[in-house]
Amino acid sequence: MAHAEAYNDPGTPEEITRRTFMANAVYALGGVIGLGIAIPVITSLLPSADATTDQWSGLTPEQAEAFKKATDSPVKVTFDVHETNGYFGASDTEQFVWAVKATEDQLRAERPELFNGTEKLPFTGPVINLGFAVFSPICPHLGCRFAWNQPQNKFICPCHGSEYSKLGKHEAGPALRGLDPLPMRDFQGKVQITWIEYATNTPALIVQKIG
Amino acid sequence: MLTWLEQRTGIVSMTKDFLTEDVPGGASYWYAFGSATVFAMILQIVTGIFLCFYYAPSTATAWESTKYLIEKVPAGHFVLSLHYWGASAMIAFMAMHLLQVLLWGAYKKPRELQWIVGVILFIVTLVLGLTGYLLPWDLNALLASKVAIDIAGNAPILGKYVLEFLQDGTSIGTLTINRFFGIHVWLMPALLVGLVGMHLFIFRHNGPAGPPIDEAPKLKPGRFWPDQMFMDTVLSFVMFVIIVALATFSPVPLDDKADPNNAVFVPYPAWYFLALYALLDVVGKFPPAMVQIATLFATIVGPTILIIVLIVLPFIDRNPSRRLTRRPWVLGLTALVMVGAIGFSWYGQSNVVEQQLAHNLIGPGAASAATTASSTLEVEHGPVGTAGGASGATGSAPASAAAGASVYTANCAGCHQANGQGQPGMFPPLAQNPVVTGDPAAVAKIVANGLSGQISVKGSNYSGQMPAWKGQLSNAQIASVLTYIRNAWGNKASPVTEAQVAAAAK
Repeated sequence: MAHAEAYNDPGTPEEITRRTFMANAVYALGGVIGLGIAIPVITSLLPSADATTDQWSGLTPEQAEAFKKATDSPVKVTFDVHETNGYFGASDTEQFVWAVKATEDQLRAERPELFNGTEKLPFTGPVINLGFAVFSPICPHLGCRFAWNQPQNKFICPCHGSEYSKLGKHEAGPALRGLDPLPMRDFQGKVQITWIEYATNTPALIVQKIG
Repeated sequence: MLTWLEQRTGIVSMTKDFLTEDVPGGASYWYAFGSATVFAMILQIVTGIFLCFYYAPSTATAWESTKYLIEKVPAGHFVLSLHYWGASAMIAFMAMHLLQVLLWGAYKKPRELQWIVGVILFIVTLVLGLTGYLLPWDLNALLASKVAIDIAGNAPILGKYVLEFLQDGTSIGTLTINRFFGIHVWLMPALLVGLVGMHLFIFRHNGPAGPPIDEAPKLKPGRFWPDQMFMDTVLSFVMFVIIVALATFSPVPLDDKADPNNAVFVPYPAWYFLALYALLDVVGKFPPAMVQIATLFATIVGPTILIIVLIVLPFIDRNPSRRLTRRPWVLGLTALVMVGAIGFSWYGQSNVVEQQLAHNLIGPGAASAATTASSTLEVEHGPVGTAGGASGATGSAPASAAAGASVYTANCAGCHQANGQGQPGMFPPLAQNPVVTGDPAAVAKIVANGLSGQISVKGSNYSGQMPAWKGQLSNAQIASVLTYIRNAWGNKASPVTEAQVAAAAK
C-alpha cells in the first residue's frame, strides 16, 4: 500500500457512520446501474424471429411428379418451405421428405404406435395420404439426415448408424423412436406438406417447429 | 466463502489494496470525470458485445441488420441507443477529464507518461467514434465517413495510402465496412482496455496529484474508498440516468440505406467533429488560390499539431508550479482552443441546419425530401400520353391545383411519393388509381377521415395507415390537394370544390 496514510486513523464515530452510508450507496447505485444495463441487453437476446403464418407448403406440379417414381423404393420429394430468415426477410428454403408407398394396414402392422394412441401425433389427419407415408428426413437420434440404402433395403443414418425399415420402424442403432411422420394432403388438386421439426433423442414426438 | 477465495486467489486483499488509496486534500467531484469515462467505456463494451449478436458487416446486410435490430429485436433499439448516447457520454467525460488535468497541471513531472497514455486514449476513442459512425450504412453513415476518409486521403505523401488502407481499396464498399468493423469492435477496444490498464497502473504508482497548489503533497489525505468511490458512483449514476433518458426519448435514428448516388442528402457529423466540420466550411470560403492549402491546414496540419502539442506538453511546460496564477500561457491557450472549439461547433451546427433546410430535409416539406425535383422532371419529360394530363395539373384544373401541389409535397409525398407511385405493400399509388380519379366524394372522404386496414388497388394489396387530415388541413387545402392528385401524373378528373370536401368530411 503505497499511499495509505488516510487509513491509519479510523476517524470519529460520525465519520465511520458516514463512510458506511457511502459504501452502501456505492453498492445500491452500482446495483441499479448493473440492472439497468443487464435487463435491456438480456432482453435483446430473446428470440426475435417471426412465427410462420401458413403451415402448409404447396408442391409445384414438377415437384409432385417425384411421387410417380416411387415403386417399392422410397423417393425423395423436395418442396419449398416459406419462412423468414432474420434480416434477410421471408424466403423459400428447400426441404425434402421421404415418401414411401404404403397402405394403412401395412403401416399399422409395422408401426402400431402411430395408430393406437401410444404416440401422440401433433396433427389430426391420417398418417397415410394419397397412398403414401411421408417421413421427415431428420434422424430422430440427433438430427442428421439419413439416406435410403437400396441393397440393404433400409434407411441408414451416416452419423451414428441408426437403422430403420422402409416404413420407418427403428431396427438398430441408438435412436429412441422410429421415423417421424409428416402430414400431407390434397388441397384443390395440389399436394401440400407441412414441415415439422421434432425434438430429437426423445422416445415421444415433441414438436419444435411447424411450417 | 471469501476466506476460501482469498486463500486461493488473494483477490480480497488485492481489491482492498486497490481501494486503499490516499486522495490529497480529500475526495472531490472534480476527480470523478476519469472514472465516469471508465464507466462509459464499460457501458460501450457491454452494449457493443450484445449489438454484435445481430449486426452483420457487409453492404448487403449492415443496414438491413441494423433495421432488424431496431424494428424486430426486443429492446434492440434501446440497446443501440444506449450505445449511441454512451459514445457521446464517453467523449464528453473524457474531454472534461482532459481539461481538468490540464487546468490542475496534473500532467507535470512525474506524471508525463500517464498524460501521454491519456492523450492516446483520447485519440483511440475518437477513432472508435469515427469507425462506429459508418457501421449502420445509412445515408449519413456513408456520406459522413466518405468525407472523413477523403480528408485523410488529402494528407501529404501518406494520404493516398491512408485512404486505401481505410477503404481497403480505391472505393468505399463492403470491404470498408468489414475493415471499420474490425477496427471498431476489436482493434480499438483491445487497445483501449490495455491503455486504460496502463493509465491506471501509472496512476497508482504516482498517486493522485491533488488540487492545483504547490503544497498538495502536504495536504491532509482523504480516502479513495469509500469517499471518492461514492462521488465517482454518483456521477456515473447521473450520467447513466441521462443516457437512459436520451435513449428512451431520443433513440438513434436510421436514415435510408446508403446510396452513393444520392446527391441531396446533407450528412451531419457527430457533435464532437462539428468544430472540424465548421473549420472546413470556413476555409472553403477563402480566396480560391488559398483554399487547398488552407483546407490542408484546417483538417490535417492543425489537428496534428494540436495532438503533438498535447503529447509534448509535459516536456515543454517544465515549470514545476501547478498554481493557476503561475501558468498564464497554458491556461490562456487552453481557453482560446476551447472558445474556438465551442464557437466553431456552434457555427457548424447552424450550418448543418441551414443546409438541411435548403435541401428540404427538415422543416415544412421535409417528407418529400428532394424528390420534388424529379417529379418536375417527370412532368417535363413524361411519356407523350401523359403529358396532357400532367400539364392539366396547372392548366385545365382551377387555380387550386397549384396550391394543392405544395400541400401534397408537404403532407402526402412522404408516403405516396412525389411521383405518385406510393410504396409497394404500404401506400398505394395515386397515379392511374381509379379511386383517386373516381367519385370526388369518395376520395375526399378518405383524405378527410383516413383509412386503415388492407386495401387492394389494381391487383396489389396495401396495408399502410392513412391518417385523417380533417382538422390538420382546411377543407380548402384538402380540395386543392384533391384537385392536384386528380390531375397529376397522367390522371385526368374533375376539380374538387371546398363544398364537396365539407359535405364528404361529415
